[in-house]
Amino acid sequence: VRCQQYPPLRALQASAALRRASDEHKKEPWASSSQQHFDSPPAGHQPEQKPQGPHPSYTGQGGQESEDYESEEQLQHRILTAALEFVPEHGWTAEAIAEGAKTLGLSVAAAGLFHSDGSELILHFVSECNRKLSELLKKEQKLVQLGEAEKKPIDEFLRDAVEARLRMLIPYIEKWPQALSVLLLPRNIPSSLNLLTSMIDDIWHYAGDQSTDFNWYTRRAVLTGIYNTTELVMLQDSSPGFEDTWRFLGNRVADAMTMSNTATQVQSTGEAVVQGLMGAAVTVSN
Amino acid sequence: PSAGAALRPCSTRVAQKGINKPVIDRIIRVDHAGEYGANRIYAGQMAVLGRSSVGPVIQQMWNQEKVHLKKFSELMVAYRVRPTVLLPFWNVAGFVLGAGSALLGKKGAMACTVAVEESISEHYNNQIRTLIEEDPEKYKELLQVIKQFRDEEQEHHDIGLEHDAEATPAYSVLKTAIQLGCKAAIFLSERI
Repeated sequence: VRCQQYPPLRALQASAALRRASDEHKKEPWASSSQQHFDSPPAGHQPEQKPQGPHPSYTGQGGQESEDYESEEQLQHRILTAALEFVPEHGWTAEAIAEGAKTLGLSVAAAGLFHSDGSELILHFVSECNRKLSELLKKEQKLVQLGEAEKKPIDEFLRDAVEARLRMLIPYIEKWPQALSVLLLPRNIPSSLNLLTSMIDDIWHYAGDQSTDFNWYTRRAVLTGIYNTTELVMLQDSSPGFEDTWRFLGNRVADAMTMSNTATQVQSTGEAVVQGLMGAAVTVSN
Repeated sequence: PSAGAALRPCSTRVAQKGINKPVIDRIIRVDHAGEYGANRIYAGQMAVLGRSSVGPVIQQMWNQEKVHLKKFSELMVAYRVRPTVLLPFWNVAGFVLGAGSALLGKKGAMACTVAVEESISEHYNNQIRTLIEEDPEKYKELLQVIKQFRDEEQEHHDIGLEHDAEATPAYSVLKTAIQLGCKAAIFLSERI
C-alpha cells in the first residue's frame, strides 16, 4: 500500500505566532528538526520546550523523534483531520481549518500554516481516503486468503472498490466540485495525479493484476477513466442513495470487460487467420 | 507560503519495509526490459538462422533468456514495479536487431550477441555495485539473482566469441553501434 502524507506548506512566522498565541492547554513541543526552519524566533521565546507531563502520544508515520515530541507534520495532520468535520459547513477553506484547530485547543491562527485555497486540506482528505481504501482492500484480501470469503470476479471487485472509494465523498459531496477545481490547479497537479495513480494501482493490485507488459498501462488507464467519469456523474446525481451513479459505474465496468474480451477475441482470431494464411502459402508453394 | 508540498510516501507493504523503493524500482524495471529485449533479439536471430548450424546454439541461449525474463516478471509483481512504457518499442526493435544482425550471416549474429551480452554484463555489474553499496544483507536475494544472471550473460558472450564473432566484417563498428543502442535503451528504460 502506498499512501502519501502531505506536509503542508509552512508559514513559518505564523507557526511561531501560533505557539505564542496558544493558551493554557497542553501544548506539544516542536521537534528539533523543524527548528532550523525558523529564521527569527520571537524574542524571548524558547524554540524548544520540555514536555509538560503526560500528553496524548500521537504516533504519526513520520516519526524519527521520540514519542514525547510531536513533529510539525503530525500536528498539521491532526489539525487537518479535525478540520474535515467543518468542511460541509465552511467548504475547503481556512475557516474550516481554523474551526478544526479550535477543537484541538489551538489558536485559529493555525490556519495560517496552510494555503488559503484549502489545497493541503483537500490533498490530506484524498490521501486519507486512499489509505482507508487500501486498508479495506487488504482486509478483504485477508478474508479471502483465510478462506472466509469468496474471491470476487474482477468486474465485481472493481465495481465494489470504486464504489467504496466514491462513497467516502458522500459527506462532502456538496463542496466536492470546489475541491476538484483546486486539485486541478497547476500547483497541485503533480500531487493529485500521484494520489490518483497510486489509488488506481492499489485497486488493480488487490484485484490480482499481475501484468508485466503494456496491459499494465491499459488496465490502469481504463480504470482511471471509469473512476473519473463516475465521480463526475456522482456530483450531478440526485437519485436516492446515488443509485444512478452505481448503475452508471456497473455499466462502465461491464463495457471495460466487454472491450477486453473483444480484444482477446480479435487477437486470437488474428492469430488463427495468420496461421491459416501461412498454411495456404505453404500448400500453394508445394 | 513557500514552495510546493513535498511528497512523503509511506509504504506499508510488509515485504518491502525499509527498502529503497526508487532504486529497486529502477533496477527491476530496466532488467525486465533488458531481458525482454534480449528475448526478442534471439527470436529475430532464430527467425533467420533457426535452421542453420548455429540454430541450436542460439536456441539454447534464447531458452536461458526466457528463464531470466520469467524471473524478473515475478520480481516485478512481488515488488509492484511498473514496467517500462517502451516495451512495445523494444519488442519491435529487438526483433529487428536480431533479424538484421542474422542477415549479415552467422558471424554477424554472433557479433550482435557479443556486443549485447557485454553491455548487459557491465550493466549487471553496476547494479551489483549499487546494491552492495546500499545494503548487501537487505538485498541478498536480488543480489544473488543478478549475480547468477550476469554469469550466464557472460557465458553467452564467450559463446559468441567462440563462434567467430570477431571475424565479422566491420566488427568494431557494428559492436560500437549496438552497444551505444544498449546504453540508450538502459537509460530510457530506467526512467520511462
